[in-house]
Amino acid sequence: MALICGGAAFGRATEAERSVIQITTYMQQPVWDAPWRFESVQRAGGTGFVIKGKRIMTNAHVVSWARQIIVHRYQDPRPYVAEVEFVGHDCDLAVLTVEDQRFFENLESLDFGDLPKVRSAVLTYGYPAGGEEISYTRGVVSRIQLEPYAHIGNRQFLSVQTDAAINPGNSGGPVIQDDRVVGVAFQGQPGLENTGFFIPPPVIDHFLKDVVDNRYDGFPQAGARVVPLQNPAYRALLKLPDDNVGARVDSLLPIPSSEKVLKPEDVLLRIGQYPVASDATILYQGNRLSAALAFQFAQQGETVPIEVWRDGCKQELALPVNIYDGDRAGGFQYTGLPRYFVYGGLVFTPLSLDYLRTIGRNAEQSNSDLYYELYYRRAENSSKARPEPIVLASVLADAVNANVSTRGRMLVDKINGVRIERLEDVVRAFETATNNFDVIEFVSHHSFECLDHTEVTKANAGILKTYGLPGDRRL
Amino acid sequence: MNQFSFKLRTWPFDLRRVIGVFRPALIVLLAAMALTFSMSASAQEERLTGWERSIVTIEVSRKQYDYYQPWSKRTRRFQKIGTVIGDRQILTTADELFDRTLIRLQKGGRGRWWLGEVSWLDYHANLALVTVSDENFWRDLKPVSFGSAAKADGGYQIVRWREGKLENRRAEFTQFTVRDSQLCPIDMVTLEVSSEIQGVGWGEPIIANSKVVGILWAQETRTCIAMPASFIQAVMDARKKGEYHGLGYFHFFWQQSENPASLARLKLPGEARGVVVIDVPDRPDGGTQVLKPLDVILRIDGFDLDIQGDYDDPEFGPLLLENLATRKKWAGDDVKMQIWRDGKQLDVTYRLPKFEYTNSLVPAAVFDKEPEYLIVGGLVFQPLTESYLASWGNEWKRRAPFRLNFYRNETTAKEHPALVMLSQVLPDSYNIGYQEQRYLVVDKVNGQAVHYLPELQQALQKATNGFHVIEFAKGDGLRRMVLAAGDTEHEATTRVLKRYGVTDGFRFADAKN
Repeated sequence: MALICGGAAFGRATEAERSVIQITTYMQQPVWDAPWRFESVQRAGGTGFVIKGKRIMTNAHVVSWARQIIVHRYQDPRPYVAEVEFVGHDCDLAVLTVEDQRFFENLESLDFGDLPKVRSAVLTYGYPAGGEEISYTRGVVSRIQLEPYAHIGNRQFLSVQTDAAINPGNSGGPVIQDDRVVGVAFQGQPGLENTGFFIPPPVIDHFLKDVVDNRYDGFPQAGARVVPLQNPAYRALLKLPDDNVGARVDSLLPIPSSEKVLKPEDVLLRIGQYPVASDATILYQGNRLSAALAFQFAQQGETVPIEVWRDGCKQELALPVNIYDGDRAGGFQYTGLPRYFVYGGLVFTPLSLDYLRTIGRNAEQSNSDLYYELYYRRAENSSKARPEPIVLASVLADAVNANVSTRGRMLVDKINGVRIERLEDVVRAFETATNNFDVIEFVSHHSFECLDHTEVTKANAGILKTYGLPGDRRL
Repeated sequence: MNQFSFKLRTWPFDLRRVIGVFRPALIVLLAAMALTFSMSASAQEERLTGWERSIVTIEVSRKQYDYYQPWSKRTRRFQKIGTVIGDRQILTTADELFDRTLIRLQKGGRGRWWLGEVSWLDYHANLALVTVSDENFWRDLKPVSFGSAAKADGGYQIVRWREGKLENRRAEFTQFTVRDSQLCPIDMVTLEVSSEIQGVGWGEPIIANSKVVGILWAQETRTCIAMPASFIQAVMDARKKGEYHGLGYFHFFWQQSENPASLARLKLPGEARGVVVIDVPDRPDGGTQVLKPLDVILRIDGFDLDIQGDYDDPEFGPLLLENLATRKKWAGDDVKMQIWRDGKQLDVTYRLPKFEYTNSLVPAAVFDKEPEYLIVGGLVFQPLTESYLASWGNEWKRRAPFRLNFYRNETTAKEHPALVMLSQVLPDSYNIGYQEQRYLVVDKVNGQAVHYLPELQQALQKATNGFHVIEFAKGDGLRRMVLAAGDTEHEATTRVLKRYGVTDGFRFADAKN
């Protein structure tokens, strides 16, 4: 029905569906409060599509923590094993390869189109839950704006909202318009009906250009918090004409390259080719979008020409843009298994969003000190911030820790007098101790616990064996 | 988990909010009954016998503030229970007596209402005495006797007026424990009983052996929570002698000593005992802290402490040491402590500081004061208080903005004794571009640090070149705002007040109070 109703725009959609791939992933996520363990293996379904170079494009979240990725061609029962070639967790995109080259026989790669217009029709292809056959859903582009990308949790990129149903399993599937891919379906929004989102060509282009050097760097940042500048008094104070142009730099992220070029109170008049409006937006292909977008076209290490208003006059500047990972722990992590160190049954691991999620939905309230440390400390009091805050995640019960009253979820301040800035400090503090007692001090009101150093040294191996740990550390 | 003194834990303010839904129906019913019954006052009084002669209904009307719109106020009316305890003295809890406008009392559960007044009230102890000036009210009323809550041979009973009849429900003993007082975060002994009665916690007496052994102040499902009579009596006696100046507390944090290694580290000889002091903040009264981190407190006021921090109370059995700050001790009193410090046993005297609501960076409560605010061109500034945060409803600790809530964990300091925030913006052409801004804590205005609303008002007199520069605390929100000063500002303020129906542009109390 959708094909018939689609008219000329969808007339050759049947060609595209042959290039749409069904993906089955067997994934196993780590347990963040018992970091040597893994959750049980889960089967997840997703979609992908063939792109140039005999590759499959899909979402990063479709293949994250994969133990095995199986891909199926359209109406072909034969399973093929795929591997992740590149993955961009920030932009939720991934490229897969299939070693068995028969997989790509008679498969056409799909070409990419441009950012679709608002109100234009699109067709999504995918293998959503509820059946094994390919599914098509038609929709209209409802809105284009920067949206939070749920996979990483703390980044916003360009996103297109459509009323086409995008359900679990659709993820990674192509969104087609005029025989070209204009997006990759990737997320919905709980509570909103008939709403799905897809990743549009500008983000896909950035990802594909990034991996040309066989390495994915990610999206760099300008390092500035840019806010609207619409109050006449503020504009007058800055001697800016009341022409609705220019947004203000309210504060800077601790990115040295940005701090060298930008200053708080700079007014951004233009970013690259895009004039910046007073509401901190740019006009991009007919859409008024957050000015942050103008920095997202650049690759890591590139320089973006900007025009700023500073000290009452215009200045042309070149702003190097770089990856900022200072807030890495505040987003979901997928690269590398969680780090940990176990001593006397006490499990130490870096504080992260993934760890906080193990506490439950109310972690923000029930463990507010951890939440504050993760999301506010660095911005408010950088001198007291630790590069990698460490938590006592849990306690593996044993005779040597039987009298330790805390059961975990405590932010560690010092161990044996050593201020704990990162996990390596924990290892060093215990392994270089010379006193009879190990003293672990926590941030919360300087509460502390003691362990008998000699007894712990004797007990460590037994604890690892009892609880099935492959080793006492993953650094 | 470790336990600490000076805990600013959840106030059970919200415990009875659920109960509150029963009240309007009760009020309507009682009003209807008052019309229906035409029994004369004298006839009614002759009818009163037993507990009916000692328990009265108290109706309180009070102002209720909307902290979202601090300039507006509503009235609230509800009922609670009072117990006659002496000559012209009716005892009840202090809860909901703040911001009162009218008090009426009714005896016998029906009939005439008598005008009353609060003769004494203490929010720390959550106790109040109500009286009636009309002599006729006291005819046929009889004071009760207090008894020990620990002696209840025949079990407990909860008594109250309900629908014109004296309701008398059985209750079973659950425990004596120590928990935060209702209207301040000071720990004190409580009696917990279990009963099928619903909607109590409003001053109802608990009876045992024909004596009042406690007054109810909260209810959590079947658990009814009361302050024992001995605590009430001690407060009353101290008050009579002029020795009561509010409750004191232990202004330090401690942890249990269940881990023998902790005590061994501190070289405490002999059997494991006592608790370890871990954090000793500056005293709010500026006094000297006699305790130091890593002191082991062995004994308080003559009572030995075990490793959980309990002592053996002569009346109630094992109780948390916090109770020794309120057991016949009041703010300003000295408490003897035996401690272990640096390998030696010492005796020290700890003077109990008075709990002051304004000593917290986010004041724990605001009683009998209208909410403070200052409106400048539509920008609404308010002090950050728990009363403001409580505007988010029963689950305000979860629902109120995280960062504002987290300020409750921070202590006051000279450089930030209190916080003023931009709570909202009433949209106007003057403040265009800032309409969405809210919940921003003010750092400086026109270069001057701001902690109180009067300071903000003064700082606004120091505009430079016709502009106000407002700087907000570092965080995830806006850092800086600029607005026009002078006539433009004043015209905007006038316009906003008129448009939004606000009578006064500001209201604040003494800056340091």
